[in-house]
Amino acid sequence: MGLGLERVAKRFGQVTAVEALDLDVATGELFTLLGPSGCGKTTALRVVAGIYPADAGRVLLDGADITRTPMHRRGMAMVFQTYVLFPHLSVFDNVAFGLRSRRVGRREIRERVAAALALVRLEGLAERYPSQLSGGQQQRVALARALVVRPALLLLDEPLSNLDARLRDEMRAEIRALQRRLRITTVLVTHDIQEAFALSDRIGVMRAGRLEQVGSPAEIYRRPANRFVAHFVGPVTELRLRGVETVDGRARATLEGGLTAWVDARTARPDGLLLLRPEAVRLHVPEGAAENRYSARIEDVVYLGAETECRVVVGGTLVVAKLPSIAAAGLRQGDEVAIGWDPADAVVTHAV
Amino acid sequence: MLSSRMRSEPWRAAPFLLPLLALLAAWFVWPLAQALTNSLHPNTPQGIDAGQWTLANYARIADPLYAGVVVRTLRISALVTAISSLLVYPVALATTRLGPRREALAILAYVSPWLVNTLVKALGWNLLLRPTGLVNAALGEIGAGPLRLMLNETGVVIALIPGHFMFVLLPVWAALKGLDPALGWAAGTLGASRAGVFWRVLFPLTLPALIAGLAINFIMNTTAFAIPMLLGGLRNETASMLAYRVNLVMLDWPFGGAVAVVLLVFTLLLVWGGQRIATLAVPGPRA
Repeated sequence: MGLGLERVAKRFGQVTAVEALDLDVATGELFTLLGPSGCGKTTALRVVAGIYPADAGRVLLDGADITRTPMHRRGMAMVFQTYVLFPHLSVFDNVAFGLRSRRVGRREIRERVAAALALVRLEGLAERYPSQLSGGQQQRVALARALVVRPALLLLDEPLSNLDARLRDEMRAEIRALQRRLRITTVLVTHDIQEAFALSDRIGVMRAGRLEQVGSPAEIYRRPANRFVAHFVGPVTELRLRGVETVDGRARATLEGGLTAWVDARTARPDGLLLLRPEAVRLHVPEGAAENRYSARIEDVVYLGAETECRVVVGGTLVVAKLPSIAAAGLRQGDEVAIGWDPADAVVTHAV
Repeated sequence: MLSSRMRSEPWRAAPFLLPLLALLAAWFVWPLAQALTNSLHPNTPQGIDAGQWTLANYARIADPLYAGVVVRTLRISALVTAISSLLVYPVALATTRLGPRREALAILAYVSPWLVNTLVKALGWNLLLRPTGLVNAALGEIGAGPLRLMLNETGVVIALIPGHFMFVLLPVWAALKGLDPALGWAAGTLGASRAGVFWRVLFPLTLPALIAGLAINFIMNTTAFAIPMLLGGLRNETASMLAYRVNLVMLDWPFGGAVAVVLLVFTLLLVWGGQRIATLAVPGPRA
């Protein structure tokens, strides 16, 4: 149930925008397509909406094949990056647009539009026109216009990227609260990692028209399927593996530069890359407190406000560590420190 | 290239306007003023009697002989404008969907009648529409006709439609091109059919352009000369033919001046009215 894509493809001339995309979005779930610009996420969303016809594959909504259903009969609603309010209609008429398409009665329209405007806290602005609203207000109208039709599927195309930072955080919290409350099956498209993490039940990371990984935000961040996903969702230090041996049923890897490190046996591969998130690397590790412990020299200390980035050299390799600034006081370039990490906090992937 | 000082103090730009203003004054305002003063003097066998003032020339236009010409002009012009208004959206919408190369060619094709000398155009229409012309020959092949397609108002209407279609097409096409394609997607995903998208979104948003285009088209129709002359014939006289006949054949400049002034005032009223309606038709908040 919910939304299903089966081997969906979309080409523009010679360019394949979406290639054999498989997807399942559960009813009530907020699913995010995350990826850099040009990865095909917006195209995929438009195929779901029926704006672009699929060149191959099937689109299913609650089990029914809607691949050939025109967009106006799909019962969805979409919020666009640029809002795309109807400039010739008042806020009321913008929100009422989808209800009039559905031939809802006059009285019910009045009630539902008022309720939708209350939902996005825009009561009293019904008579205004889009040009008389701020960006944030326009965004709310776009949201109300989509929610008021009680869509079978809500599509959000980069809904927050045209707002300034403060407003973005506010609207993010609001969209999250609304979606949790109304439990509308939602597909969000974004290139903003924070937005994806904050809003999503699950995330699909896309690159060049394909899904690289699907998982919960924590899975995507902590257990990236490959280098691309690892780098896209956050900074990471790569350490090349030279071999893996099994010691007492556990995996121990030899790293570039001769260090050895305990690694997660499930992902260990002799020619892989060990990926380390900066916050997984700890400094001042007492002897015996971590399975992987090395002495290192501090190359640089970068103060970033709440956090401090510490670049350290271990066995000729640069490793980036990030720690709360409170814990970083007193660190100086050239200091010798003991660093370490928990094998469960690192992941080994293919080198390519 | 306007400097910011010219923007804040527009009179600084005045010297640059002088050449154009001088040209307009010498070749437009001055003759027009002449026509206006002439129209207020009586014509006598000895010439214009500048000593006397009269409105008789204007009263003469109300004569059924001349009023009929004005009514015919308005009838032909309105019919051409009405038919153009029905054709413009299908053509404009189809044009925007052609892709950039073919779209440019299509627009060139629609503008091309304006690039051809009107007399040549009229001759071309003559070859098509005359009793032994191409159209009637084709009709004869299928056992229909012949139809009387020229030396009547039908011929004038047929020839004026393509001749002046670009004045409606260009503004509407440009307005459609200027709309965010996502407007159609937003309306479509909200349940509007293709017809719904057109009538509820595209049409109201391009209505000011349509009205402006129709006003220009109508004015062009009322002032057309060669096409009505050569396809309508002298028995279907229109206002510009009348102005020509009175001024250059009858040499009755006072009456000719009155005809010219009435035509001009009428045209100005139309431009002003068209702009007014177009302004009112602009959707959105009222100031």
